[in-house]
Amino acid sequence: MNSLSFLNNGLGLSIVVFFPLITAIIIFLIPKKQELLIKLVTLGSALFTFVVSLLVAIQFNFNDASTLQLGMKVSWISSINSNYEIGIDGISLPLLLLSTFISVLAIIYSFEHLPEPKNAKGMMSLILILETGMNGTFVALDLILFFVFFELVLLPMYFMIGIWGDKTIRSVAGLKNDIETRLYASIKFFVFTLFGSAFMLLGFLGLYFRGNRTFSIPELIELGTNGAFSGTFATLVFAVLFLGFAVKVPMWPLHTWLPDAHTAAPTVGSVLLAAILLKLGSYGFVRIALPILPDQAVTWAPAIAILSAIGIIYGSLACLAQTDLKRLIAFSSVGHMGFVMLGISSLTSIGINAAMIGMVAHGIITGLLFFVSGSMAHTYHTRDMGRLGGNMKLLPKTGAILAFTAMASLGLPGLAGFWGEFMALLGAYNPLPGLNVMIFRSSMVAGAVGTVLTAGYLLWMLQRVNLGEPKDEWLDQELHDADNYELVAWIPLVILTVLIGVFPKLIFGATNDAVIALVSKAFGG
Amino acid sequence: MAISSELIVVLTIIGAIILDILLPRRLKFIIALVSILGSLTAFLPIIFQFANYSSPEIMFEGSYVIDKFSLILKGLFILVTYLTFLLSVNFVESDEYYQGEYYFLLLCSLLGALVVTSSRDLLTMFIGIELASTPMFLLSGWKKGDQKSNEGSIKFFLLGVLSASLILYGFSLLYGVTGKLVFSEIANILIQQDLAQSPLALLSAILILAGIGFKISIVPFHSWAPDTYEGAPLPVTAYLSVSSKATGFVALIILLSKIFFDSGQGLGIVLVFISGITMFVGNLSALQQTNPVRLLAYSSIAQAGFILSPIAVANITGNFEDGVYASVTYLIIYAFMNIGAFLVINILQRSIDSEDMYDWGGLAKEMPLAGIFAVIFFFSLAGIPPLGGWFAKFVVFRSLLSTGEIFGLSLAIVGAVNAVIGLVYYSRISKIIWMDSPKEEIQSDEESFIPSPLKVVGFVSLVLTIVSGIFPGIFSNLGEASSIFFNS
Repeated sequence: MNSLSFLNNGLGLSIVVFFPLITAIIIFLIPKKQELLIKLVTLGSALFTFVVSLLVAIQFNFNDASTLQLGMKVSWISSINSNYEIGIDGISLPLLLLSTFISVLAIIYSFEHLPEPKNAKGMMSLILILETGMNGTFVALDLILFFVFFELVLLPMYFMIGIWGDKTIRSVAGLKNDIETRLYASIKFFVFTLFGSAFMLLGFLGLYFRGNRTFSIPELIELGTNGAFSGTFATLVFAVLFLGFAVKVPMWPLHTWLPDAHTAAPTVGSVLLAAILLKLGSYGFVRIALPILPDQAVTWAPAIAILSAIGIIYGSLACLAQTDLKRLIAFSSVGHMGFVMLGISSLTSIGINAAMIGMVAHGIITGLLFFVSGSMAHTYHTRDMGRLGGNMKLLPKTGAILAFTAMASLGLPGLAGFWGEFMALLGAYNPLPGLNVMIFRSSMVAGAVGTVLTAGYLLWMLQRVNLGEPKDEWLDQELHDADNYELVAWIPLVILTVLIGVFPKLIFGATNDAVIALVSKAFGG
Repeated sequence: MAISSELIVVLTIIGAIILDILLPRRLKFIIALVSILGSLTAFLPIIFQFANYSSPEIMFEGSYVIDKFSLILKGLFILVTYLTFLLSVNFVESDEYYQGEYYFLLLCSLLGALVVTSSRDLLTMFIGIELASTPMFLLSGWKKGDQKSNEGSIKFFLLGVLSASLILYGFSLLYGVTGKLVFSEIANILIQQDLAQSPLALLSAILILAGIGFKISIVPFHSWAPDTYEGAPLPVTAYLSVSSKATGFVALIILLSKIFFDSGQGLGIVLVFISGITMFVGNLSALQQTNPVRLLAYSSIAQAGFILSPIAVANITGNFEDGVYASVTYLIIYAFMNIGAFLVINILQRSIDSEDMYDWGGLAKEMPLAGIFAVIFFFSLAGIPPLGGWFAKFVVFRSLLSTGEIFGLSLAIVGAVNAVIGLVYYSRISKIIWMDSPKEEIQSDEESFIPSPLKVVGFVSLVLTIVSGIFPGIFSNLGEASSIFFNS
């Protein structure tokens, strides 16, 4: 017992989840003109939430990281036996911290960098609602609660892209009229994700009816590892869960919403989307699909591995073809999440640990890449890499961070990105006994080729954007390098990238026990 | 007294007529006041009865039953009518004439709906249905000078009469076969004499289904709805799409579970197909609409498919408890979000009077409150958490999958696909008013002023929509209560 123990019985986690939402409601009541007040309240709320999440982490018993802790369970919808059941273990804790942390940085960045139409009130309340959805997904231990939080992120992100997004007009195959990028991207994002999650909900109901009418994830895991779900039923349920999570990750070939959404979204939108929202999908696999349906996971693992390998290669090749800086980073996400899914598909503790650190690292690194590229797009008013060049000379601070982040993203040893890729390949080399080794080793080779291609497109990007002489069109223009708000938002991510790169135990210390317990319980490996 | 809320409505009706005769024109707003107060008063006995509920109260030799099912739906109808009155105040006043009749007719329709919820014999139910729908023929043609209104109301009237005669024909067949009026006796005789699956019983079921199908606008009996909705005054349309539809559903639920529960799989399969096709037709047609009212008309057709699906599957599996629970919960949540959606159209049309919703570009900047209403109600209709609509869809899916039987499963997949199609058009209004740029300069602040009765409707619906999404337990308990006591 200590002075923080009052946070233990679910209170701390509930604050982390609902405090942003409550603040969002308060912000609705503040007049629009009080912009500074709105921004300060938002920042205060996010900081408070972050601090509470840190306190929760302090209370977390790392020696028992495989157990769900600090949670609570109270009745929520009694007529369907759904409860407000929350808790964290070593798998969810790093992601929860990532979410509260990135939210703070996103808000700091938004202080001075709101795209048209400014409307700080709208943007700030959307970020806060989004944060509630993200945090909630990582702590929910009831399928229905999980579903609600999982979906809660859709509306804010839809409006973020749709209102503050890219206004360039583009033509879309199949549409008669040209359409603004933001409008097309926002509804595409929404429809794709809803399509996946509508079917996912049917899957949840299937588990509910076969699993003694409970939505509780721990109870279902108990049932699932004892073989309660089998046959065609389980195959179908895994298929729909796969659909729901894979759209969110996104896995090839369900990824097509992602480049559009990322390119169109305002900078903070892209950052939150890349850093956190994508993780909701891969987290769903680890938290729900694998432990509840282990036999099906074994059956489906080769398919997931192949799709991941395709995703890695496809993402890298697509990157090589991009001229748009943000679109390039968006496609790089497809590749990086491919590594995460490849790690998960190996069904080994190494692979899943790789996925966990890969998720965190991708959140930090790609989040930072989107910060930087968004800021550059704002400064140069273009994302066309053909027009950029000599960024190092024009914007030395931004350029330096871009160079650093690109190095981290290509998996340079010593930086955070390395562990996820390296260990995912390791996991794929030696998948769970009984899995088709040929498929996994081929996927590993594809992944290895992917790392080379990744290095290729990132270095080429750096060469085109950062190096060389500035183009004439920029010389007589006054370009602003990163200001203090941006640096305050970025530097912590740089530090984290190095820290996790040098001490991967920061993540593994939390995840390892939980992952090993998961694997041994579900797959006996 | 068990029927005090009906009596209060009757007294209000009489009061409205007398006041209409006595009052000079400038004081006619008092009628509105009396009607609003009357409907609120009628709500009180319901609360009281619900709180002190012990067992179903059977009156008039089994013809009229007050149970939890009927109480909950009576409460719903009264609340919806109250909100419709509030929606109507400004409209009727701007109209200058016929105030008395307007409220009189709406109250009559309410009385009919109340009767339907408790009716347990053929005659009472028929009278209830017709009392609920006949006033709507007049109300939908309220805008006399408007050609569309005339067209819509004539269509509605002709089809309404046809549907009444179909229902009556079906009822008379039942009476002819069994010689009984009360549902439980009819069901007993059908089972005892092994007639439940006889061609005559099925024919009467099909006729009744067709007749009620018009009221709830399911495919292929839906064609009147868009025209009538478009022509009718907006508050009347809101009432039509919520209360009239719910009345039809209540009648259908009672008939299916009290008489036709043993009619074999055939009827259920027909219903399953109808409900699936209704979702597709409603949603795919709604995608094409640029007129917001027509959009909501098709949306309400699609929603009818959703509401019908649990009862349809229940008719195959015999699991009426889950089916009724899902449909009633859906009806309750749907009522408030749909009224809210019509309110949004109403407010926006006050600002820019247009039949093309694309003229409303960027309006949310001028009217942020309307903008927020639009987001809440339309995305709730689409079923996006944490707004109430998600739970309505969820209970429907739950009841469809409860037995794991193939028709339920197929219908659930159809429903999931339709939820996604629905999102595309439900998001459109929010997209237009929040994201598009204005087509023309919006004038003064006066245009964007929202009258307080409309605000009340907005906030009541808003609170109910959000609460039902975050704490669905409250509404779900109502649905559950209605289904359990209904089966006893």
